[in-house]
Amino acid sequence: MAAIIELENISKHYSPTIIGVDNVSLTVEDGEFVTLLGPSGCGKSTLLRMIGGFETPTAGSIRLADKDVTWDPPYKREVNMVFQDYALFPHMTVGENVGYGLKVKGLGRLEIETKVHDALKLVGLFDKVKLRPQQLSGGQRQRIALARAIVREPKVLLLDEPLSALDAKLREQMQIEMKHLHEKVGITFVMVTHDQTEALVMSDRVVVMEKGRIAQQGRPQELYDHPASPYVANFIGTTNFLPGRVIRCAGERAEIEIGGGRLSAIVDAPLVAGSTVTAGCRPEKVRLLAEGETAENVLEGRVAEVIYYGLGLRLAVELADGSRVYTDSLLPDRLALSAVPPLGQSLRLAVEPHNVFVFEGEVTP
Amino acid sequence: MTRKILLGALGALALTTAAPALAEGTLNVLTWEGYADPSFISKFEEESGCKVNATYVGSNDDFAPKLMSGGGVYDLITPSIDTTKLMIDLDFVEPLDTAKISEWNNIYKKFRDLDGIQKDGEYYGMPYVWGAIAFMYRDDAFTTPPTSIADLWNPALKGKVALWDDKSSIYVAARLNGDMDIYNLTDEQIAAAQKKLLEQKPLIRKYWATAGELVDLYKAGEVVISNTWAGYQSGLLKAEGIKVTEFIPKEGAEGWMDSWMVVKGTPNKECAYKFLNMQLSPLGQCGVANINGYSVTNPVSAKACMTPEQYKDLHQDDPAYLDSLMVWQPLGDRFEAYTNAWNAVKAQ
Amino acid sequence: MSHARRNLSGGMVLGIPLLWIALFMLLPYGIIVTFSFWVKKYPTFVPAFQFGNYVTLFTDPQYVLVLLRTLKISVLVSVASLLLAYPFAYWLVFRCRSAKLRTWLYMAVIAPLWVSYLLRAYVWKTILGTEGVLNSFLKSIGLIDEPSSIFLYNQFAMVVTLTYIFIPFMVMPIYTALEKIPANLTEAAADLGMGPWRSFWTVTLPLSAPGIAAGATLTFCLSFGDFIAPFLVGGPDGNLIANVIATQFGAALNWPLGSALAIVMLVVVLTIVSLSDRMERKGATGGI
Repeated sequence: MAAIIELENISKHYSPTIIGVDNVSLTVEDGEFVTLLGPSGCGKSTLLRMIGGFETPTAGSIRLADKDVTWDPPYKREVNMVFQDYALFPHMTVGENVGYGLKVKGLGRLEIETKVHDALKLVGLFDKVKLRPQQLSGGQRQRIALARAIVREPKVLLLDEPLSALDAKLREQMQIEMKHLHEKVGITFVMVTHDQTEALVMSDRVVVMEKGRIAQQGRPQELYDHPASPYVANFIGTTNFLPGRVIRCAGERAEIEIGGGRLSAIVDAPLVAGSTVTAGCRPEKVRLLAEGETAENVLEGRVAEVIYYGLGLRLAVELADGSRVYTDSLLPDRLALSAVPPLGQSLRLAVEPHNVFVFEGEVTP
Repeated sequence: MTRKILLGALGALALTTAAPALAEGTLNVLTWEGYADPSFISKFEEESGCKVNATYVGSNDDFAPKLMSGGGVYDLITPSIDTTKLMIDLDFVEPLDTAKISEWNNIYKKFRDLDGIQKDGEYYGMPYVWGAIAFMYRDDAFTTPPTSIADLWNPALKGKVALWDDKSSIYVAARLNGDMDIYNLTDEQIAAAQKKLLEQKPLIRKYWATAGELVDLYKAGEVVISNTWAGYQSGLLKAEGIKVTEFIPKEGAEGWMDSWMVVKGTPNKECAYKFLNMQLSPLGQCGVANINGYSVTNPVSAKACMTPEQYKDLHQDDPAYLDSLMVWQPLGDRFEAYTNAWNAVKAQ
Repeated sequence: MSHARRNLSGGMVLGIPLLWIALFMLLPYGIIVTFSFWVKKYPTFVPAFQFGNYVTLFTDPQYVLVLLRTLKISVLVSVASLLLAYPFAYWLVFRCRSAKLRTWLYMAVIAPLWVSYLLRAYVWKTILGTEGVLNSFLKSIGLIDEPSSIFLYNQFAMVVTLTYIFIPFMVMPIYTALEKIPANLTEAAADLGMGPWRSFWTVTLPLSAPGIAAGATLTFCLSFGDFIAPFLVGGPDGNLIANVIATQFGAALNWPLGSALAIVMLVVVLTIVSLSDRMERKGATGGI
């Protein structure tokens, strides 16, 4: 696969103190689905808008299909954008909206009609061709916006928070639909979102951004299982953070002393004994030990809170030092609610060493 | 009956216009600027105990609409002699008790005898001031002084001519055509006058509508020749340091005369007659002559209060001058033909 | 009890404007319509039911002439206002970076509305006059040797003055319409390959059409009914329909003919308003 977008040391400084994007380099492969993920203000939208040509970087260069487009206006770039609130033209019909971007391509009337027809068919809304955007539901507008961008057969499709205006149910459905669409049309997708689930579900690669820089990038599972920083661990999924100290470290195995006990962890790089660290683990990777059962990492505590969320149970377990560990477990259907441990009951928890992340220093999540 | 319906309808229209309070002892006069000037009215108010509240008109055409839209607002009006008859025929004014006007018999007989202020042997108007619709030019624009109406048709003066926006323009054009019976023109003569005015139109800078406007036109150097209300605008221009000269063209000039009339049904009769007497006395006659530069109708009062020069300048001692003027006459049912012709000229 | 009170206050809320409309709009219109069928008879006019006044209006060329001239002037004023106001409003909304400057400039356009109409018209007299500001300027830069009289007392002066006086009524609705266009629509147009010019023609202009229609209607109707500008800066060929109506109600004392003219004028204005209303409504269905 060849690189389709190459961002080289891109910065956008609005003023010496207000920095949108800070020295970002990123390569997107042809046909990839890349998501820029981060909270608002992290620079992800600015980065996307610079790729689209709506903003110009203050430093760095943007290459699109081996051509420097850093200073090209949007209408000269072979990318198309699906805007956050779709930006459909209210004074045109659905058909005119979709055909709009074809008018400059010097195509014949019939050719345009065919392409519009195909694009609308692709998103399953051909029967709406004569309607105005205002007459459509949010999800339908979303699809029209997609059709309008795709019909131009761009090299890259940019999506700016494309699903944020939809309700939860529809969002879930559209996530899958768009993933399929991506597979079907084979165009490179670059999406911006602040929704980690969306990013995990849809992308080939997720780029987590923090304060204008790339915090970590990788396949969704990589990010989830091996967050490089507490920031990433916290932004993607839920993480228990337990402050502690390194007792010893041999090879990839480290022993950490935390307030409520000890943990062994598998680490990528050796740690200095005695240094302050923060251990982290996902709630669903923490399990309840049955009576008499043993495990490598055992934590003891009392049930402080029980949260029922349909799919399963989340228990907050208070350790000896007062810190809390959350543990998620699916509810087997034969387990009656009466079997849920009552508040205050003593429990033992276990977590496998390869499921423990260790971050240097203290973390205040 | 007809009148009742009309007034009813007009009353409804008048709802929107605020009317000054009609109070006993307060005279509401609808008149020309200068005719109730504080310079002499203040004294009258002190001596008589009657308060005077003046509303000014810009044209003779204002009297009828103002009186139509609801009676009982004004006590006294001063239409010109071409409009007085209309006021009488519209039943807006009441006959005067000339016995109550002590100087009545001193008024120039020529004015007292005018048809326009009488009906069925009764007087409805008290002649007050008079003058000529003279012509005027800027001294610095002419080497040979103009003497004829034809000078307002001189192509060399293109864009420098002004003419009063009034049916009077028909009188002017008719005289240029040699039709001297200007108040009894036939349809053909009116059409000829209309044609003459259309010929002149390209030369016209502006048809002037108010005295102030004509003064501004001369001041701004826009026009050099026009007709004028003799004595008035030339006085204002001289005060501004602009040298102009009035002249009576060889085709003659129209004369005008304004009369005081008492609005029908006024509750302020006593004050009204005190006011009329004052206006004929030296206080009123010289009051208006000094402000507006017009000649007055009572030579006895004029002689008493004017310097000999002023008396002479205002032609108060010159019956021949007065006789040479073609004093306006009511046009009656020919009125429409005149105004229609003039409107057609303006519409072109 | 409270129900009755609510009915009463509801009646007042609806009743007062209805009464107002009846008293100050329908009644006067009714009177004017009635007058228009009456007939002129010395010294005034008498009730009748005949169409003579209307026949006169359409057979005597002077009225048709003035009507056409008024239409021409009003259209010119609307077009001139549009050509000046649109780029200005566009610049304010899309190009002016400083919000402070934008507010300030917008107010600068609106502020003259607080100044008397007459005063503003007079100002143009001193600018356009033979010895006015414009002539002095042209002379000082050597463009002309002699002061020119072509600027004042003609239809050009009327169009200039009326445009100046009524242009706020064009700027305001266009500004509002442009401001309502979401920025991402022009971005979308650019994204879809349209250069700035085509994007303007296909997106910005059509979406601001309701503002243009409103502005054009306002300036047209205001100019159509104006009779001060002809009086102040118009020349001998500057008579407009409102002046003729004023003459009929004043000098000519022919209220029936004046009323008929007023009705014709009303019909013209209502036609324009309803056309523009239809256009605005069409634009509104395109609104968000």
